[in-house]
Amino acid sequence: MLRIGDIRVPVCHGMTRRSFLEAGTAGLAGLSLPAVLSLEAAGAVDAAKAEIRNCITIFLVGSPGHLDTWDMKPEAPAEIRGKFKPIDTNVSGIQICEHFPLMARMMDKVALIRSLHHKTGATHENGQRWMMTGHDFNPDSVKPHCGSVVSRLFGSRGTLPASVVLPGKIGNTGAGPFHGQTAGYLGSAHEPFFLGSDPARSDFKVADLSPPAGQTEFRLNARRDLLRQVDEVQRRAETNSSLGRDTAYARALNLLTSSEAKQAFDLATESDKLRDRYGRNTLGQSCLMARRLVERGCRHVTINHFDTVFNLSCWDMHADGGGLNNTYADYEQLLCPQFDWAFTALIEDLSTRGLLDNTVVCVLSEMGRTPGLNPRGGRDHHPGAWTNFMVGGPIRGGQVIGSTDKTGARPQNNPIEPPQILASIYHAMGIDLETTMMPGPGNRPIRLVEAEPIHQLFS
Amino acid sequence: MDQRFEGQPKAEIRLEGRRLIRGEVTNDWGSQLIWEIRRNGEVTASIPARAIDSHETTDAAAGQYEAVLKMFQYEGYEKDKDGKYTKSKFIEISNKVNWTI
Repeated sequence: MLRIGDIRVPVCHGMTRRSFLEAGTAGLAGLSLPAVLSLEAAGAVDAAKAEIRNCITIFLVGSPGHLDTWDMKPEAPAEIRGKFKPIDTNVSGIQICEHFPLMARMMDKVALIRSLHHKTGATHENGQRWMMTGHDFNPDSVKPHCGSVVSRLFGSRGTLPASVVLPGKIGNTGAGPFHGQTAGYLGSAHEPFFLGSDPARSDFKVADLSPPAGQTEFRLNARRDLLRQVDEVQRRAETNSSLGRDTAYARALNLLTSSEAKQAFDLATESDKLRDRYGRNTLGQSCLMARRLVERGCRHVTINHFDTVFNLSCWDMHADGGGLNNTYADYEQLLCPQFDWAFTALIEDLSTRGLLDNTVVCVLSEMGRTPGLNPRGGRDHHPGAWTNFMVGGPIRGGQVIGSTDKTGARPQNNPIEPPQILASIYHAMGIDLETTMMPGPGNRPIRLVEAEPIHQLFS
Repeated sequence: MDQRFEGQPKAEIRLEGRRLIRGEVTNDWGSQLIWEIRRNGEVTASIPARAIDSHETTDAAAGQYEAVLKMFQYEGYEKDKDGKYTKSKFIEISNKVNWTI
């Protein structure tokens, strides 16, 4: 069975993805690809039947040092092993940093991937693009964010966007504007919905859910009616871009007028006790909101832990004495405790509500940090090796995949590259990479990502 | 986007025998939480308090002891030349308990 979006298309027994590509798109159950696109954009495809799991990604902007967190080397010299000590977890033989004591108690749910690496330049942006799209960067064909792919293939459920980014876009991380968090060539209809507001604020309000000054609900509804009337005219001259604008505009109007959407974003309806358990901070409340969103039909939520690496306490531990002056103190007193508190709250909460089986939680970052401490006691960028992890859905926890050498400089066993992570996310979400194609540039069906999932995650 | 830490964390602590016990923290910022133990006004121990809600005191030296729960308050990443925070700091978030050895 072949899928394009949510449409299952029977193929001859033994027909492979490649032979399908060779055969072209003609005869797909009588539907041409433009017809499929049109049906999906018009909402005619029954997205509710899509049998896919949700995904919540916590993206640790700045990149934690793997040797200081989830791939410790206690036997290495002091200038490599750093300041922190490892602790045992509830899985025999797996140790992590002492500043993740709560995560250590749920290691049986976590699959650590310790041999990640990429070979492109050591900038944050390279890592962001790799880890959010699964592709190397090409400015002539900007690849879509994972959530945009899911949006394009399976659409929204209810009025909530298929893909949401919390609390906001990644901004300046040093080397350019492309962070891998756009819909790219899929068009504006599949842009993630950027919250653009901090859910930890007591005066938190989603800007896009509040009508502009002077716009009453009556006027908004009138606009929606007008939109319906012009739909037919638009569709006569439809192109991907006009469809994209059309859908994006309809989505915005839906959000503005939907009580369901307003409720999904309203953290005030959660108990104070639960809000405290996530942590009264930007990361914690974003994690809580992510749970609310997937609970209500959002398929893919990305949480950016920080929108920049400059002039704030973040994972980018250069200890440079200036705008990048993050040190072990930031890790010990703020970053590790905050992450430990929020991440474990999210996993516990999803599990308690029976959502963890249907939700894949990924903790990703751009790269690792240098094995040797720099002269100021910090660590610099190192895409040669790092650790990320996955929980939930069909992921088998309590395991470590891959390893690094004695100093954590490079993978020693089972080296893993970013496209394999994206392939694993799609696979964990229930998407069959062999049969699910995506309309690529020029509407040519293409694979979601050119890699196989990490099979050990699922065995 | 500024990192926000809303509200003021608070917790109740008590002493049962030699065991310090804390209640849940309200308005929890999620940052580092420690027991600070002082003898005759001098800090003798800072013990992680996040993962467990009690701590057995083992001090044997004679003196007037005091314990309080503290949480890291983030006000900025800035540090002095010695690496000490210039704005962020630990603040007391609980009542104090006292005992004498």
